[in-house]
Amino acid sequence: MTASAALAPVYSMSAASPDEADLPDSAAKSRTHALNRFLAGVEVRAFRIAQAALRHEDDALDAVQDAMLQLARVYPDRPPEEWKPLFYRILENRIRDMQRRRTVRNKVLAWLPSWRAEDEDDPPDLIAQAPSADPPPARRLEMDEAMQALERAIQALPLRQQQAFLLRNLEGLDVAQTAHAMGCSEGSVKTHYFRALQSLRSQLGDFWS
Amino acid sequence: MSTKDEPSEFEMRTRALLEESVARVDGRIRSRLTQARYAALEEARRKRHGILRNPAWLPAFGTAAAAVLVAIVLWTRAPVTELPTMAESSPTAFDDLDMLADADALELMEDWDQGFYEWAAAEALADGASI
Repeated sequence: MTASAALAPVYSMSAASPDEADLPDSAAKSRTHALNRFLAGVEVRAFRIAQAALRHEDDALDAVQDAMLQLARVYPDRPPEEWKPLFYRILENRIRDMQRRRTVRNKVLAWLPSWRAEDEDDPPDLIAQAPSADPPPARRLEMDEAMQALERAIQALPLRQQQAFLLRNLEGLDVAQTAHAMGCSEGSVKTHYFRALQSLRSQLGDFWS
Repeated sequence: MSTKDEPSEFEMRTRALLEESVARVDGRIRSRLTQARYAALEEARRKRHGILRNPAWLPAFGTAAAAVLVAIVLWTRAPVTELPTMAESSPTAFDDLDMLADADALELMEDWDQGFYEWAAAEALADGASI
């Protein structure tokens, strides 16, 4: 599939996007606009958070898509300020479900060694792995290394610490919103966040010093 | 941000890196996220337009509408006049009905002997006249 073919659905969708659909009244229209703005604002960060937890691009995309659909299906009429914690609550539940399912699948596959090779993840995308023709500048290289080290350290965190750290540090939620998103008390959020910072510092301290 | 209000240098550095990683998410992923967003907005729009526009509810609504229609038709076709009372109806009509309902009477009708009954009627009239 060519790049233009891959992007065609997006362009055709934007031409008749739900924003411009025949909505019956202006209130519903502005509501849809607000939901669109909200989702557009969180989708890439949400993807990165899901990717850190699931370590798989397609699974992360599926988790974000499910969270978007669930929010739009169940909570579109809630006040917009509630959307962010609700969205991340849904996303975290989805991530947990996928991790649980993956654990079960891996346990089953462990008994079937001959099938494991067939059920491995998708073949690597050679285009994505191909080095860029332009040599990266030194600054970019330095950032790449730092980013990879950070990603490895974040992925090594327990899920709750990972979520607390990313929701607070990447998404910018405050303690109360993070607690709502994680379904725990504010005290627990502080504990998870503090432990995540300690762990990351101990892992990255030498690298970043 | 950790335990105090001000984020530490470490937190600021990690945040900057994470923001950079977000900025580097490629167009293919962004395209798929956009498609997912439009699907979600379509879902919200469908829900907002109500259950009547949701095809999943149409069979249930169709059944309910049909039931209401049948009820209305039955209601309007029910007899509005009261049945005549026994006193109001003519005795001949009831006699006919009794006859039709009575199996013995029908058997008598089958064995109808017109000559005998005419003779008996004439005799009865003659007796009445002589009295």
